[in-house]
Amino acid sequence: MTDDSTLSVPDSVVPTWVVRTLGLARREVLRVTRRAKNTVLPPIVTNGLYITVFGVILGARIGETQGVPYLQFVLPGLIALGAISQSFQNAAFSLFHSRWEGYVEVMIAAPISSAEGIVSYLLGSAVRGLLVGGAVFALGYLFTGTPVRHPALLIAFVVVVVLLFGGLGLVGGMWADDFDQLTVFNQFLIRPLVFFGGVFYPLADLPGIARTVSYLNPIVYIVNGIRFSLTGISSVPPLTSLAVLVGATVLVVGLDVWLFERGFGLTE
Amino acid sequence: MTNTPAIEAEGLVKRYDGVRALDGLTLSVDRGEFFGLLGPNGAGKTTFIETLVGLVEPTAGQAAVFGNDVETEQQAVRNHVSVAPQEFNVDRFFPIQEVLEHAARIHGVRASDARERAAEALESVGLAAKGDRKFRALSGGMKRRFLLARALVSDPDLLILDEPTAGVDVEIRRDIWNVVQRLNDDGMTVLLTTHYIEEAERLCDRVCVVDGGQTVVVDTPGQLRRRGTDTIRAEIDGERVHANRLRAVDGVDDVAVTSDGVTVRAERAESVLAAVVTAVSRQGRTVETLEVDRASLEDAFVDLTGPGADGSGGPESDETTTSQPSERSRQSSTTEQ
Repeated sequence: MTDDSTLSVPDSVVPTWVVRTLGLARREVLRVTRRAKNTVLPPIVTNGLYITVFGVILGARIGETQGVPYLQFVLPGLIALGAISQSFQNAAFSLFHSRWEGYVEVMIAAPISSAEGIVSYLLGSAVRGLLVGGAVFALGYLFTGTPVRHPALLIAFVVVVVLLFGGLGLVGGMWADDFDQLTVFNQFLIRPLVFFGGVFYPLADLPGIARTVSYLNPIVYIVNGIRFSLTGISSVPPLTSLAVLVGATVLVVGLDVWLFERGFGLTE
Repeated sequence: MTNTPAIEAEGLVKRYDGVRALDGLTLSVDRGEFFGLLGPNGAGKTTFIETLVGLVEPTAGQAAVFGNDVETEQQAVRNHVSVAPQEFNVDRFFPIQEVLEHAARIHGVRASDARERAAEALESVGLAAKGDRKFRALSGGMKRRFLLARALVSDPDLLILDEPTAGVDVEIRRDIWNVVQRLNDDGMTVLLTTHYIEEAERLCDRVCVVDGGQTVVVDTPGQLRRRGTDTIRAEIDGERVHANRLRAVDGVDDVAVTSDGVTVRAERAESVLAAVVTAVSRQGRTVETLEVDRASLEDAFVDLTGPGADGSGGPESDETTTSQPSERSRQSSTTEQ
């Protein structure tokens, strides 16, 4: 249980739009932290198993990849996997649930703007993605003990990633008509992209055409960016990766605002 | 600005896949008024409410709340309005006190005030002791009252109540009536949709009868009642009276004679009562008991919206007289003769 008082920001001097945004954001963050055993713990356990099996047990047989132990090579992808899937799922589920139960109408009928609403949902998603990503990193660090090469870059990548996939989660939350459809994005889009995004293998191992196609996969930039931040190795220049991801995030959040303004999935 | 109506709708149309949920609805609600929307299921009442708060985009026509267009000035509209909906659309994850705090904050109420506002709103509907409970743990009546509290927590200028007493018992219904009546007395404009005729009669300054997405009539409950027909029932001793002699009384619409009495229908019972008693006496009979059933708003409502209603409901009146909470819908008096 989180101390809720720490989530209340003194707002006697802040503008009203900030009050509205923080109000909704507080709700979204509490929804994550109050049920941490449902929202945060399961993905940490899952990724802990990935680290144990792929990193520790299989990694010992595989040896080094691109000059680093396999666990060190695979850890950035697992951090990305945790942050991506949880930020996406949080935004998608929370928005869809409010539609399903009908209380999204309370938000729509309030003076909170589309942009404020989106920022609030993204903050909730970011908290969940960062908690899981951070926990996976901490677990991996227990085994590798390797210091982070570029901590500022690591933070930048993870923050952009959780915002990008939180934004995509909002699209999913508006689009889905039932709970089954919510899983479609995760199972048939995000998960395949992650598995073909260079998490478990270096892009250099792929044949020419497959490697070229891989550059269309945004996960490649995420994994390589985080990998560079942690180990200093990457198949893609890190600043190029960051630029691609920031651009994608701007586009997706812009799409969220556009859809919210039009009431896509939210109003008649 | 102060003369701007609380709500002004002109020719509102909303089509869904060929169905016209609103079909040119036109009405105006004054500031501080307690205004009722009365209509059968599917009349367009909820669609109208949803149009006001931006949940539904009108196909045609215009609507404004306190002078702010509902399509182009949504945020200004939403600053003034709160809705207690018909459906239980509540976030069931949080205790109800927190649900209210969240509702207050997305209306721009600062954190330091939101908790106090939430407590006051719960207090006003008699749920102060239930703040730490979740919505699903409340009884049906408490759930209704909670929806009202949620609408009040932002201290709106216009409170919209969509069937606020649906499915609750008489005691809770009256509690809710008292709360909203007090709010209206304090100056809050209230728009009420209801199926309960008694509710509209008791609370509303004016009532708009809606049918087929159109305004049938706007009037005070008292004036609407006068559109119905009164009934006089008399028990007569001795033999049957002659119906034709009663029909000849000016103002009598219909007469039915039974073995022990007579039933007379007239637009105004008081205008024909003496003449009816006289006509009975002239036939050598004595009126033993006399019962007058005043036309109720329900009668007028059925006449205006039921089968056989011509759809126009007669000439539209826009009387702005403020009536007191009206008397019981059906008044009876029995006179021993």
